[in-house]
Amino acid sequence: MRALVVEDDRDLNRQLVSALTDAGFAVDSAFDGEEGYFLGETEPYDVVILDTGLPKMDGISVLEQWRRAERKMPVIILTARDRWSDKVTGMDAGADDYVAKPFHMEELLARIRAQVRRASGHAKSDLECGPLRLDTKTARVTLRGQPIKLTSHEYRLLAYLMHHNERVVSRTELVEHLYEQDFDRDSNTIEVFIGRLRKKIPPDMIKTIRGLGYRLSQEGDDN
Amino acid sequence: MTTNSLAFRLFATAAAWNLLVLPIAGAIIYSLYRQEVETSFDRRLGVLLTVVLSDTVDHGDSEPGAPKDVGEPLFEVTHSGWYWQIKPLDDKPGHLLISRSLTGFTIPLPSEHDVEPNEREVRWANLDGPLDQKLRVAETIYVFGEGKKAQRYSVAVAGTLGEVETSLHNFRNRLTLALALAGIGLLAVTLFQIRFGLLPLAKMEKGLAAVRSGEATRLDVHLPEEVQPLQQELNALLKSNQDIVERARTHVGNLAHALKTPLAVINNEAREDPSPLARKVAEQSQIMADQVNLYLDRARMAARIGVIGRVTEVRPVGESIIRALERIYRDKQLSFLLNCQPGARFQGERQDLEEMLGNLLDNASKWARSSVILAAAAVPGAGNGSGNWLEIRVDDDGPGLTAEQLADPIRRGRRLDETKPGSGLGHSIVADLAHSYSGKLELARSEHGGLSARLTLPSAT
Repeated sequence: MRALVVEDDRDLNRQLVSALTDAGFAVDSAFDGEEGYFLGETEPYDVVILDTGLPKMDGISVLEQWRRAERKMPVIILTARDRWSDKVTGMDAGADDYVAKPFHMEELLARIRAQVRRASGHAKSDLECGPLRLDTKTARVTLRGQPIKLTSHEYRLLAYLMHHNERVVSRTELVEHLYEQDFDRDSNTIEVFIGRLRKKIPPDMIKTIRGLGYRLSQEGDDN
Repeated sequence: MTTNSLAFRLFATAAAWNLLVLPIAGAIIYSLYRQEVETSFDRRLGVLLTVVLSDTVDHGDSEPGAPKDVGEPLFEVTHSGWYWQIKPLDDKPGHLLISRSLTGFTIPLPSEHDVEPNEREVRWANLDGPLDQKLRVAETIYVFGEGKKAQRYSVAVAGTLGEVETSLHNFRNRLTLALALAGIGLLAVTLFQIRFGLLPLAKMEKGLAAVRSGEATRLDVHLPEEVQPLQQELNALLKSNQDIVERARTHVGNLAHALKTPLAVINNEAREDPSPLARKVAEQSQIMADQVNLYLDRARMAARIGVIGRVTEVRPVGESIIRALERIYRDKQLSFLLNCQPGARFQGERQDLEEMLGNLLDNASKWARSSVILAAAAVPGAGNGSGNWLEIRVDDDGPGLTAEQLADPIRRGRRLDETKPGSGLGHSIVADLAHSYSGKLELARSEHGGLSARLTLPSAT
């Protein structure tokens, strides 16, 4: 999952990036409105954390321009201006949620996960696919009730596939959603991690669809 | 009209001026008239004296003869008050001649009262005549005969002053009546003038009342030229007042932004670290965050005190907040029902109504199972004191509060329930805000099963 943090306060930006990375996100960060707008316009993020009081272009304008350009990723507004008039303005501009500063990181992460789930059409925080179960709150994966150990890259890959299970996900899409902007897109990292995952879960669950990509499905377990 | 009023001052001044001027004018007019009447009376007596004298001289120069044709019929009417008399002087024998009207009497003579003659040798005096008549007497001395036979005669003509007095009395009565009527007329005109002249002040009062009640943002009434500068100044004052509030709001917002971001950083950093120091920092930064929120709310409220009232339609505010909440709580698929009486208007700031409705609806949405209802209607006689009131109810079908919790007063900074982030604190903000408008917030069990928050606020309808 890829997240974008647009926050001009360097310390807070760093904390957000760190917390999101720990939660299994590939995170890009921007420190002003223009940079944030450009990244949101060009990269396929699964969620955006957007401060409203930004230099160069304010957060509400950034959000309005994304929505006008049909960018539909979930956006959570992060702001010190917590009056309802500000909230209404933010939501009317196209925000999906609103978090007031100062906030508890756990609460923000819960809201981020809820937005990501909602965007991929899941209502619960537990994602299931056959014998596999992913608890997005704790980032724990179990196979038939037994926890399996995953590295952060493996977790990211499996989490993305589980969010979009039963759907063919191209390699490009995986690269775009799992790695930061400056990732070397020509490397064979995806193939390497698919191989590693197949060793930790029933190997047939991740199918390679030649020329198209990969599909996570519970059928594999049955075969 | 009270004594401490412009109308009273203007009226009292005009009345005092009338009371002073009209009697003086009356006295002057009366005196001039009296002078005129008396001069005219004397002229008439003078003419009659000349006629009597010339007529009596016509009989020969040795002794006087009775005048025959004086031309005044009142000399023929007994005791008419008009008399002539020709009387020998110096106690010498001679003819005493009197008019028929003087039968049985003589008239007193100025020469007997040591009255000096004027340049035409006529003596004038007011003397008591027969039958207590007040007479004006004109007398001249004429010498008939020559040498030893020469004899001085007093030729006198008298007219009753009663005639003059009656005329003056009548005039005085008519003059008094006329002046009194003029005075009353003037006072009536003054009263009208004051009322008409001060009408723009009443208009201005109405205009300012409209500004205060929030129906207008500036004084937009048509006023006379003289009051227009005052109107312009008042409008400038209103504008500057609004600007000050806007600036205060902006500063408060900026302060919030400036404080809350570092607090968020400190809080996050401290929570990452398990050391006792970090725990203390996290705890204290949370207290700081709550204090910042508390005093920012206070500052917002203080910025509003003294602001000229505004009017806010309830429906659009409710609609915009519900639109935002539908997005925030879309997972719960809540149904929001807005049941707002047409024209329900809150007499206060839009931002404050948004804050109150936002907090109540957000809280209701957090707890509701399937539906949240917002209802607003004008309620006469509700709230504290008099005036029009508006009742806004937010009901949900959630678990509601226990009887104990409902009985507890809503206090600032105390969360009624801490299992959901941020909940409960909203109620005390709402109660504080409602209180600042002399309104109130009451919590009760809802007929829909959950909590019913009832907000009573001043209505602008």
